[in-house]
Order: sequence, then C-alpha cells, then structure tokens
Amino acid sequence: MLELKPIINALLRSKVGAVLAILQLALTLAIVSNSLSIISERVSYLNKPTGYPEESIITFSVMSFDDKVDANQQLIVDERILKSIPGVIEAVGVSSVPLSGGGSNSGFSLTSEDDGKHTNSGHLYANEQVIRTLGVKLIEGRDFTSGDVLISSEYAKQPDVVIASKAFTDEIFGEGRGLGETIYYGGGPLKVVGIVERMTNAWPRFRNADRLIIFPMVNANGFQDFLVRTDPSLRGEVMKKIESVLLQENPNRVITNMKGLDEVKERYNSKDILMLRMLLVLITALVVVTALGIFGLTQFNISKRTKQIGTRRALGARKSAIVRYFVVENLIVCAIGLVLGTVATVFLGQKLMSLYSVPPLEVSYILITALGLIVLCIASVIFPAKKAANISPSIATRSV
Amino acid sequence: MFAHYLDLAWRSLKATPLATSLMTLAIAIGIGVTMVSLSVYHMMSADPIPSKSGKLYAVQLQVMDEGQTYHSADDIPFQLTFLDAKNLYQTLNVDKKVAMFKSGFAVHVSNPEVRPMLQTTRLITREFFAMFELSFLYGGVWSQSQADNAAPVVVIDETIAQKLFGRSDVVGESIYLAQRRYQVVGVTKEWQPNVKMYDLNNGAFADAERIFIPFNHAAAYEIDTWGNTNGWKREEINNFTDKMNSEMLWTQFWVELENEKEQQVLATQLDNYIQTQQDLGRFNRKTREFSLRNVTEWLEYNNVVSEDNKVMIGLSFMFLAVCLANILGLLLAKFLKRAPDVGVRRALGASKTQVFYQHLVEVALLGFMGGVIGIVFAQLGLWGIRKTSHVYESLATMDVSMLLAAPSIAIVTCILAGLYPAWIVCKTSPATYLKVQ
Repeated sequence: MLELKPIINALLRSKVGAVLAILQLALTLAIVSNSLSIISERVSYLNKPTGYPEESIITFSVMSFDDKVDANQQLIVDERILKSIPGVIEAVGVSSVPLSGGGSNSGFSLTSEDDGKHTNSGHLYANEQVIRTLGVKLIEGRDFTSGDVLISSEYAKQPDVVIASKAFTDEIFGEGRGLGETIYYGGGPLKVVGIVERMTNAWPRFRNADRLIIFPMVNANGFQDFLVRTDPSLRGEVMKKIESVLLQENPNRVITNMKGLDEVKERYNSKDILMLRMLLVLITALVVVTALGIFGLTQFNISKRTKQIGTRRALGARKSAIVRYFVVENLIVCAIGLVLGTVATVFLGQKLMSLYSVPPLEVSYILITALGLIVLCIASVIFPAKKAANISPSIATRSV
Repeated sequence: MFAHYLDLAWRSLKATPLATSLMTLAIAIGIGVTMVSLSVYHMMSADPIPSKSGKLYAVQLQVMDEGQTYHSADDIPFQLTFLDAKNLYQTLNVDKKVAMFKSGFAVHVSNPEVRPMLQTTRLITREFFAMFELSFLYGGVWSQSQADNAAPVVVIDETIAQKLFGRSDVVGESIYLAQRRYQVVGVTKEWQPNVKMYDLNNGAFADAERIFIPFNHAAAYEIDTWGNTNGWKREEINNFTDKMNSEMLWTQFWVELENEKEQQVLATQLDNYIQTQQDLGRFNRKTREFSLRNVTEWLEYNNVVSEDNKVMIGLSFMFLAVCLANILGLLLAKFLKRAPDVGVRRALGASKTQVFYQHLVEVALLGFMGGVIGIVFAQLGLWGIRKTSHVYESLATMDVSMLLAAPSIAIVTCILAGLYPAWIVCKTSPATYLKVQ
C-alpha cells in the first residue's frame, strides 16, 4: 500500500541527496536538542524568584568626601530625605546590594568555639527599615525594632539579633527550626528573631544563593549603598529626583550607580541572557536552513522525475498517491536522520558535559526536537508534492 | 580565462535565482552565526600585551594552612596578603616588580564648576608603567623618595585630565582624591588592554584604572581595597592596621623576567621568603608552594575565555557543517540539471579540468556573495550582543582580521561543498546528452 519497495529503490538510486538530507537532519537534531537543554536551564535560572519586588526598588551609591560630617548621622538624614520624596515607600542604607555580585559571605556556626564546622551564608548590615524596603515576606518571628540596631564605627562589634532567610535556618538548624535559636559569627552570639520566606544574596548564580542573614547594624563610612522602595509606577520619577535632593543637602559627595534592582539583576546575569539569546538565534537560523534544504531537495527530486510522475498518473495513479509517495519518501529519510541524530545528540551531550558545566541532556528534549523535525519535514515536502500531483498525465506521452 | 569563468558563473547564478538565493542565504546565515561567536572569541583570547606576554609573571603564594582549599585549579589563592606583597617588594632581588591593588575615590578639583566624579584608582609601585607599557604624554612617574615619604603625588591619564581641566598638560596641577590634595606628576596616554590581565578579580574585561598613586599610601592613609578581599581563617580585625597585618588576600604582585635563568633565581628567592616566614609562624604547611605564571598561562588559569563562548564556537561550526551539507545538496541538484549544457561544451572541446574549474569558480563566487552578506548578519548579531551586555561593548566587534576571515571561510566552505558536484558534472560524457537532443 505504501509503495515502500519502489521508494527505497528510488532512494538507493540517488543516494547522495538522501545522505545529505540525513546528515543535515542528524546534525540539526544534535544541535537543537542540546541547545534547548542549555536554554531551558538558563530560563529556569533566570526566572527563579529572588524574593524581592525588583521592579519597585532603586539602588544607588553615595561617595562622600566631606570629612566634617559623621557618616552614621548623615545616613539617618539621607534616609529621611529620601522618604520625603513623593512615591517613596521606604529607604535604607545597606552595606551591600543583593543580586549585584558584590557583598559579604562568611561561615556561621552553632557553637562559640571554632569547631571547623560552619554554614556559609551571605550577610548584609542595615537598620530596622531594611525588611520593609526589601519587600520580603517575614514568615516567622518579628521584624527589627529600632532598639535592635547597633550604630557603631568599630569593626568588631556586632548586634545581638539577626533575621535570616528560611534557606539558611533550614540548612543550619534543620527544616522548620531556627526561630529564637542562636548562631555564632566570629565567636559572638546572634539570636534569630525573624525568618524570611525567600531572599537572595549578592550572588544569584552560586549554589547557596538563597542564604542571606541581615544584621541590624549601621557602620557607615565614606561609601554607602542605598535601597529605596517606591510605588512601581513612580519609580522613574523618584530616580530622577534622588541625586538633586541629596546634593542639595550636602554637595560634597558623588552619587553613582543609580539603577533599578531589576537592572542590577540583569547586569549580573548578562552572560546568561546573552547565551540564551545567541542560542535562540542559532536554532532559529538552523531550523530555517534545514527547512530550506529539505524543501530544495524535494523540489529537485520532483523536477527530475516529472516524466515518471506523468507516466504513473497516466497509468491510473491518483493525485493522493503521488503526494503520499513523496511524503513517505521524505519520512523514511527523516526517520533515518533522526535515528542517526539521536546517537549524535547523546554523543554531543556527553562531550559537552565532560568539557563544560552544562546540565545532563534529558530525553524529552530529543523527543521534542525530533517531533518538531518530523513536522518540519512533512511541511517542507507537502507543497512540492502537491505541485507534483498536478503534473498532467499527458506529459508522459510527450517528448520521449 | 578566470574572467570568462566568472562571467559564466554570474550568468549561471542569474539563471536560477531561487536556488542561488537559497544557497547564498544558507551560507550567509552560517557565516553570520559563526563569525559572531568567532569574533567574540577572537577578542576575548587576544593577547593583551603581545611583546611581553611571555615575560610578565603573576606571583602566587600558598599562604593557607595545610588542608585549606581555594577555588583555583591548584588550590593556591589568586591574590596575596598585603603583608606578603609589601615584603616581596622589599626583599625580591629583581629590577621589575610591582605590588598593587585597586581602590577608588571621589575625584574633584578646586574649580566648583567641575562636578566631582567617582573613579577607581590603582595603588602601585613605580615599576608598573614600564612593565605594562603605559606611555607618558607629560611628566613621568613619581620618584622613589616621594614614594618612600608617602608624598601626595598622582599620575592620571589624558581622559581624566580632560574631564577635570579641559586639557592634557596638567603636570603640577592639584586634584583632590576624597579630602586629600594630590599633585599631578605625570599624564599617561589612555590605556585599555582588551583583558585586564593584571587584576582579573572583578571581571576580566573591566575598565582599566585611570588614576595611579603610590602603593604605600595604603598604610600611610589607610586606603582600603575596592576589589575582592578573601579571608580564609578566623582573625580578629578591629581596624585597618589589623587588616594590613592579617592573612586576608587582597593584593596582586607581578614581576618581569627575561629568561629561564631569571625565573629559577626568582623561584629560589620565593622559596627562601616562604621559609623565613615559616620561621615567623606563617605558611603552616609541609611543602612550600608558590607559582609563577606568565600572562598567557595566567589568562588560561583564570578561564578568561568563558565556557559559554567555547560552547557557542563548537555549535556554530556544527551549524556551518549543516549549511555545507545543505549547499552541497542544492549544488548537486543544480549542476546535474545543467548536465546537458556541459555535454555540449564537452563535445565542443572543453576539457574535464576546464569544466571542473568553471564550476569551482561558480561556487567560489557564491561563497563570496554569501560571505559578504554574512558579514552584514554578523554585524547585526554583534550589535545585538553589545545591546545585551555592557561587558561585551568592546569585545563584540569585528576587527580587520575577522572581516577578512568571513568571506574566506565562506569561500572555503562553498568550495568544499562544490568539489563533489563539480566532479560529478565534469565526468559527464558528452555522448549521452548529444543523443537525446
């Protein structure tokens, strides 16, 4: 019924064309499914929630060169000025900006003695406005009060309490525990008074990105980072005003790095975003080229066999039989290409994994790509095959 | 003859516009994609200082206690402690050595019309300029006695001079770094190596510093680093003096060595240095470890060319292979269709070689056209990259060698694809086709 035998005979007669199509399909399958695997890993990384309403937070830095002002006092004044800008919900000076790639990371332990066992976590210092400014969700315990905040200009002093992310408390104390318990940092005790559902530290790409501890502490010096949470619709307006209002208060400083927190994240992830876009362009272009190639080859096969098609039609073959012939022929080529391609794909996937830190290739990506290629093959054969079916039977009688 | 073949090729390409545009498009897309990743790779891996990449060495010391690990390939920290950088500078008996780290200041001048600006600043010893080939437009480096006395002297580059004073010749002028007044002793030509090889800690492709002050200002004025500080042991740090005497890692140290012999001499000195420090209770390890890597080795060791880029290069060339298979198929189809013409030409006396060359000229022409359009695609792609990431602003560009490489790769690809079809068609026996006509 499917005329397999004559199709295979015909294919064997013009092997080169078929081999080329098979090669293209195999390579395409290998490239596309491996790219898809890398793409999906990056997409899921980029879409991972950070815990912050990034679109409503502004960050910037102030570098002061006025040695007459007390930095800790200036910080409080600046926060008040920022809060008076219409649209600002909360503002706070921080020791480092989350998601930025720059910050502090240290080991915390369960004992005051250094027993060599510690759990690493990012940490930052800020006063009691920090939780509200970050817009994170406190799921256990309480927020900081002004009484918790230690204002100091000495390195070694540290506060009595901290708020930590759930990922950290789960790791160090065990799932669901941690509230009211004590951790030690550099020998000093810190009581966990609050646990935040999710907050990401300065390095989203790292394995322990969701571990962050906030110290209620202000130790300002000449260089100060700020976070400002605004009404998302007014963020642009607020951003424009910040520099002028702060310089009005004290002109002996420079205000830089004014960005939205979403932009901070985008900059940190720029390599991943770039890779994602490059791969998307690559596979789109590849699919176009492969489709054109298969289309071209079918077209050629048909034009070569015009007379045979006319003869078949003259002998009583239906139009649908002609279309079916080319579709089946194409599917055979496609199937061989995909089988070879699967081997190539697995090989390439393993090669990439042994050389680079790419995720293991899942079978589903091969299946999805293979399915897509089958559809592509059929789509690029249907049009030339329909044209072939319209070849008049009379052509068989002419010019032989 | 070549001109004639070119003419024939052009006619042939014009005769089958659909096939020609399909093939040109395929090769152009392939070249476009390949050139994008190749260009970025080319810029990333370019030697930042070709005349000295084999002579400048980064010094690393294994300062950490036995059993401690570090995120480098050989567990030796990338940076040095302040103490070691200072000691090495004083004790090593080599002419060209530099201890340094990155900091930064609000920079301003007494003219209130010039807005203060935030600038990264490098604390260096005098040898830096000669070692890394910065050239002075005006003035020069500070003297050793100025450095020893922590005199407030500064070297800036021409762009900073322009921003602050509106001119380049500013030797003798004063600028303020934070509250401190500095005297400009030298103005350098703008300097931006494609890789910031001397300090890769905050991004290999970050901007080079444009302001330089003496290294021992760190101790004299308590200037802290703006780069990374890596601690590896529990230490009580109460003030900046504690930090300077601690085991925290935040400085870089480079030497320039002419030959293998100098390298061995230096290795002995480093070994001796570690030994004397061990007597003082530091470097608690059984074996004394350190390393000297020249620029080329240093960039490799720090994985400066990103993994993503290597993956992209591989995938791009596979993509080009698909394009090659594609073109091969189309060329075969096209040439075979023309076999009757070839039969006539053969019958009229054209040799097999001539027919073969004629077809190769045709595919080369095709490759050239594809290559040129490919450059346009590649420029589009590079523009997209520059838009995506600020890091790639200077990297995602094509230099002359890449512009020339594009059509060359395209032509080679097309000729490879064309060899078999041209061979098939030149084998055409004239008789077969003459009979049918």
